[in-house]
Amino acid sequence: MRGGGSGFRAYAVLYLIFLYAPILLLPLFAFNDSTIIAFPLTGFTTRWFEELTTTPALHQAVRNSLIIAVSTAILATCLGIFAARAATRYAFPGKAGIIGFIMLPLVLPEIIVAVSLLVVLLQIGVKLTSFTVIMGHVLICTPYAIAVLNSAFLSLDRSLEEAAVDLGETRLSTFRLITLPLIMPGIISSLLISFTISLDEFIIAFFLSGTEPTLPVYIWSQLRFPTKLPAIMALGTILVALSILLLMIAEYFRRQGIRRAGGKDSGGFL
Amino acid sequence: MTLIPEKDPAGTPPAGRPIIELRGVHKYYGDYHALRGISCDIGAGEFFSLLGPSGCGKTTLLRTIAGFEDVSEGEVLIDGRNVDGVPANKRPTNMVFQSYAIFPHLTVEENVGFGLRRDPRPRAEKAAAVAAALEMVGLSGFGKRAAHALSGGQRQRVALARALILKPKVLLLDEPLSALDKKLREQMQSELRKLQRQVGITFILVTHDQEEALIMSDRIAVMFEGVIAQLASPQDLYRRPLTRQVADFIGVMNFLPATVADEGGGQIAVDVAGLGRARIAAEQCPGGVRAGAGSVGFRPETLTILFEGEADRGRVALGTVDEVTYYGDMTYYGVRLDGVGEPLTISMRNLIGRRVLERGERTRVAWDPGALVLFC
Repeated sequence: MRGGGSGFRAYAVLYLIFLYAPILLLPLFAFNDSTIIAFPLTGFTTRWFEELTTTPALHQAVRNSLIIAVSTAILATCLGIFAARAATRYAFPGKAGIIGFIMLPLVLPEIIVAVSLLVVLLQIGVKLTSFTVIMGHVLICTPYAIAVLNSAFLSLDRSLEEAAVDLGETRLSTFRLITLPLIMPGIISSLLISFTISLDEFIIAFFLSGTEPTLPVYIWSQLRFPTKLPAIMALGTILVALSILLLMIAEYFRRQGIRRAGGKDSGGFL
Repeated sequence: MTLIPEKDPAGTPPAGRPIIELRGVHKYYGDYHALRGISCDIGAGEFFSLLGPSGCGKTTLLRTIAGFEDVSEGEVLIDGRNVDGVPANKRPTNMVFQSYAIFPHLTVEENVGFGLRRDPRPRAEKAAAVAAALEMVGLSGFGKRAAHALSGGQRQRVALARALILKPKVLLLDEPLSALDKKLREQMQSELRKLQRQVGITFILVTHDQEEALIMSDRIAVMFEGVIAQLASPQDLYRRPLTRQVADFIGVMNFLPATVADEGGGQIAVDVAGLGRARIAAEQCPGGVRAGAGSVGFRPETLTILFEGEADRGRVALGTVDEVTYYGDMTYYGVRLDGVGEPLTISMRNLIGRRVLERGERTRVAWDPGALVLFC
């Protein structure tokens, strides 16, 4: 890494600045005492954060988003456990194809998923509510849940489950006593990742939320009013902080899981 | 022309009452025929080994006894009862896994006591049983340790205690020593043997290590490609291998081409390339005898190099030293006999005052017709 090394290093640094500098501007303007989002900064204020606490529509959007994100996390993780277990423990005809179909939303453009879901739901006459958003979010979160849980199941020595059966436990009690505790870090990780994805997902929520906007949809709707912009910056700051915190917790549990199962870390999301 | 019929590969039945009876067991994985008609009895209290190269079906056979694999054809009887359809958790067998399968989220105590969860005895009695099991494997005082903090040898002992605490009729061991280093492996071999005598439970050991099988077992079933090639005691297996394949797998065997002739009256004569003609006994032909071309096998220790000043004894052939491998207590020579293409491996003890020959030296080799084994 001599010679060309410094050039690559400069490139990497610039790349990271380009990637993260806009996010750093969020807290900067969130605490700036001016309704105009521009330099120079005029002074320090927490006024925009206070404004957030006095906006009922925002509170409703937060409530919708939390209900949707929690439901999505639980549903996607449950489905993920079944799929990951099937994918890692059993051989059955058409397995590759089935798993491929489940993982497809990972690469499918979200707008396509959103539009097709909207068309189908309208055709069969389902009213657009938070429930329809949950359905859409489960669809796109399940592949992430499976990816995380797959690695949890793969790092679990199969003979551990066999040993429990050999020692007199049924398949069900083996799952409860051995499998579940050992993949628990993966489950927590999957819950947190699904929760985070659902919480800030916009396109599907925009198409399917009807009259119950989620937080991102609410934020988007507020962008039409320039005076609301600093408050959105404040909200964005809180969201970024929460997302980073959640991902860090998820990663902590994933690593702990690998250590507990005595495996070797093969890389994760962070 | 068959002079002496082949012996039954299944050999002699176990001394006592059989605890496991295998009747024509076949196992298919799709098109792959993993077990091809395994039939044998394993006696109560026996230390029994399944020995073979990887992929010979020995682990599959062990897992069919444990109940992790169902048989495609045939019957498995445990203690006289057909266990077809009986799941692993309802069988009177317990297993020590190759990876030991110690539950990493439980303590040593919880691991060992895992099988007692459904035991109706009071808590104190179960705790005493766990303590006794830990003492048996030499791990007293380790009960509170976290399982993932144990060394390889300790894991092995926990796995043993965990399986034996249920007092199974049969303990199944799937290559339990292969992950240990040489010193520890040798120590565990003798400990396992002692433990087996002490508890009197039937042990079935799967191994690919022929030395390990010879050291530990009462009887050994040698498996190749899904069939039992020979089932015999370690001594019979070493001295009277049924086939060249078995002879080659167990220890070192020198093969020489030979011609077999019937001299009538149960007398068999062989003409061995490079060594000459000799009469041999019927028991030296465990695989049966047919007149015509065959081969004979010599173990390295049945051939003797005669050093300078030693008188000829028995029958002597001449040859040239081709290869010298010094092991400290022993030296292994590769000696090319005059008129024979392949060098023979000869092992000699390094006695005091005895020198080690060098490559290219001429030497005399004494051989005893009574030590050879004939394969037709």
